[in-house]
Amino acid sequence: MATTATATTTKLWGGGKSPFNVEYGKVMMWYFLMSDAFTFGAFLISYGTIRFSTNGWPDPNEVFRSFPFAPEGVHAPLVFVSIMTFILIISSVTMVLAVQAGHNMDKKRVVNNLIWTIIGGAAFLGCQAWEWNHLHHEGAWWGSNPFLNHDGTASSTNFTNYFFTITGFHGFHVFSGVIINIIMLIMTLADKFEQRGHYLMIEKAGLYWHFVDLVWVFVFTCFYLI
Amino acid sequence: MSNEAVLHASVGAHHEAHGDEHHEHHHDTFITKYVFSQDHKMIAKQFLITGMVWAVLGGLMSVLFRLQLGYPESTFPWLQDILGKWAEGGKITPAAYYALVTTHGTVLVFFVLTAGLSGTFANFLIPLQIGARDMASPFMNMLSYWFFFAASIVMLSSLFVETGPFSGGWTAYPPLSALGDASPGSKSGMDLWIISMALFVVSSLLGGLNYIATILNMRTKGMSMTRLPLTIWALFFTAVLGVLSFPVLLSGFILLIFDRNFGTSFYLSDIFINGVGALPNEGGSAILFQHLFWFLGHPEVYIILLPAMGMVSEIMSVNSRKPIFGYMAMVGSLFAIAILAFLVWAHHMFVTGLNPLLGSVFVLLTLLIAVPSAIKVFNWLTTLWRGNVRFTPGMLFAIGFVSLFISGGLTGIWLGNSALDIHLHDTYFVIAHFHIVMGVASMFGMFAGIYHWFPKMYGRFMNDTLAYIHFWVTMAGAYLIFWPMHYQGLAGMPRRYYDFSVWESFKQFGELNQFISLVAMIVFAVQLLFLFNFFYSIFKGRRVATLNPWGANTLEWTTPIRPGHGNWVGEIPEVHRWAYDYGKDGKEFISQDTPVGADESHH
Amino acid sequence: MEHTTEHHEHAGGGTKEIIKVTVILTVLTIVELILGFWMIDIPLDSQSLRLGIKGTIVILMMAKAFYIVAYFMHLKHELKNLIMTIVVPLALFIWFITAFLYDGNSFRNLRNTYDPHFKEQSTIKVEKKEHGTTEKHEAAPVKEHGGH
Repeated sequence: MATTATATTTKLWGGGKSPFNVEYGKVMMWYFLMSDAFTFGAFLISYGTIRFSTNGWPDPNEVFRSFPFAPEGVHAPLVFVSIMTFILIISSVTMVLAVQAGHNMDKKRVVNNLIWTIIGGAAFLGCQAWEWNHLHHEGAWWGSNPFLNHDGTASSTNFTNYFFTITGFHGFHVFSGVIINIIMLIMTLADKFEQRGHYLMIEKAGLYWHFVDLVWVFVFTCFYLI
Repeated sequence: MSNEAVLHASVGAHHEAHGDEHHEHHHDTFITKYVFSQDHKMIAKQFLITGMVWAVLGGLMSVLFRLQLGYPESTFPWLQDILGKWAEGGKITPAAYYALVTTHGTVLVFFVLTAGLSGTFANFLIPLQIGARDMASPFMNMLSYWFFFAASIVMLSSLFVETGPFSGGWTAYPPLSALGDASPGSKSGMDLWIISMALFVVSSLLGGLNYIATILNMRTKGMSMTRLPLTIWALFFTAVLGVLSFPVLLSGFILLIFDRNFGTSFYLSDIFINGVGALPNEGGSAILFQHLFWFLGHPEVYIILLPAMGMVSEIMSVNSRKPIFGYMAMVGSLFAIAILAFLVWAHHMFVTGLNPLLGSVFVLLTLLIAVPSAIKVFNWLTTLWRGNVRFTPGMLFAIGFVSLFISGGLTGIWLGNSALDIHLHDTYFVIAHFHIVMGVASMFGMFAGIYHWFPKMYGRFMNDTLAYIHFWVTMAGAYLIFWPMHYQGLAGMPRRYYDFSVWESFKQFGELNQFISLVAMIVFAVQLLFLFNFFYSIFKGRRVATLNPWGANTLEWTTPIRPGHGNWVGEIPEVHRWAYDYGKDGKEFISQDTPVGADESHH
Repeated sequence: MEHTTEHHEHAGGGTKEIIKVTVILTVLTIVELILGFWMIDIPLDSQSLRLGIKGTIVILMMAKAFYIVAYFMHLKHELKNLIMTIVVPLALFIWFITAFLYDGNSFRNLRNTYDPHFKEQSTIKVEKKEHGTTEKHEAAPVKEHGGH
């Protein structure tokens, strides 16, 4: 048995410590996100499967063409959703900054950045609520699809079914992410992390928040772009 | 502050806290000790006993529907006494028959062989065998059990609703599962079924994440991954399978809920229901549900089987007084099985209209599973070879497991071929195959584990004589029940039929069906004997007198006979060797915490 | 404990890196949007061009995903062990996606071949709104029936 050789390998996997150099909570968070990736993956792949087994599909640029406060009948495809996308990206950036501030034990910057992240999340949810409401007024809902296919033929309700189910599930994740961030904010303000001597909880909340952003990258592409 | 520093700080604090608990005072109340316990050993026992309750219920259901299959002409007035309107005039109604079959399958697959098997032994063995005081998160562990408990209650309550429990088969294919009008069981019984299964998914995720994090992060000093006992490796891959495949089932169920309640048509298209008419749902695909279901469903088979494999490897090595043959090959084949488990799901769907080319790829991938399975079988056999075998009850069940795994596994090669599957699909051949290889074999693994670790769980032994009766009757019974089913299946007898006596082509099997039902009842009765042995031995069994009654190497036998919360009284032992130093250098066994001697030979 | 300090240095990643990644993500998104706008004007018949653009968008999407996971989620700065345990299982998605989509496509062909009604439905043009041009992006047809 090689006892002296490869000291680093023994150190990593030899027991008595984490082979990843991270505490168990972060390991769990990562694997939870993996399993959640499979949840979202299954949704999006189901959507793809149904789309592949259907003869036509609506044009997203026809469906998602409106904008808040714009006159009825305005044609502005991709504009509103790109704003939503940027809101989420920016909120992800502020979350990274919060995590980084946590590393430096800089409570004030953690609080600032967390507040911006929460605002970003809330703004995204607001946009989504507006869009849902707007589509609903046009007659779109689970089980009803007012839009026609690209080529003018009747469209399957599965277009709206999947849209509302998947964006709804994503919105639910954003919502829970905002709640988690609010809890983190309260704990930071209550000096909980200062007492613990580390801001690892913020890091885990951050992982979750970035995951929500990551999922949006896929949802955005699958529903609005292609 | 870096992760690592935090890690060490928190682990230190953890140990200290447990130390206090042990040396000074016990202030556990009944509630914190037996009900909302966070001790992994107690949670394991909770899983085990809940699993046993479900095993009895699920087993009883099979006896009831075997009565119908074996004696389709007879009536049993006492059935009406226990089942009421579901057995009007002493004969089980078709609706009740399907409900029984469905609930039997769901309960045994998920509640008994998933929660009851990996829930019990992952909780019990992981911290003990890797040298940890408890799971990474004892609280989440407790939640895992209580989510399972909630799932159990919901499933149980579904048995009592007016329209009966779900009755469309444990696979819950739409449209039967998606349309309330499709059958009585598709109404509120199905709603409860989905709720129960969703709770169960949450339970298994909480548990699985915990098992993975514990095995990776909490191993004691010196316990490198390649020194882990094979039980832990198997439980590790089981947890990985669960964490990656259950979410897909959850997605499938969420879509199903929308189809049931919110007018969507993910799985529905071109449907006409008698008395209701044509449905407006268009554009969905029932095959999509099958894909999603089997993406979990196939890994699920290995979630059930791997823990049994791991325990059998361990028990077999201990009782052969020999190192396990091919440790790394065993780990490698577990890994290969875990990967292949994700790649073969559509072999359950060859006759659904699956694309034939795609089907042929699935055939190829499916047949590949034979390779790691064969490696495992040969390694078990070579472990036994020239061993100094002690036929303890645990060992007998372990050997029985291997026998069943071979018999059931070989028929898997038949079924994995899409061309043969056209004939064999949905016949009793399939029933025989999966009951032997997954059902009974995993039950054997579970029994082996219970007999082997009972002394550690309760500080007493189970009665050997009863155990031997239990083994031989169950072993013979398993073959007598399921072996003939192969012939029935080859003759084309379809599964899930209510009454075969009305079919000219299957009348010839009338007496055989009767025989199978009779054996099923005997085997069920013997399981009650096992339960009696189990509960009697908890209180009255022979006391364990030594720390290490089996002469095993693993760490759980270095704890006190009845370990408290925290497992080890003093320091956690450090590990210096793998778990399989049996018969080395003239010593019968060398415990893992024994330092390597200067003149010791290499293994 | 030399390892600890080393890890600590890595852990930050630095504000510079965050800015860099933000810029990259923004640029990628803008390119995606440009492609999206371009695709609006491409007629349905030029299928291969549309497919090519869609493929490019998917590649850009993967690039965005990489930057978020690697830098925002810090995976790139974790130990290789952790990276591998995350990335390797994700490879399962390859077969997951391939098999599902392939079978979806095959199911459509099956129905088009053996279900004349299904095939017929997908060729009947539904009445469109005001100006009867067959394609493109005037306002979408808004049918006034509440699906609430």
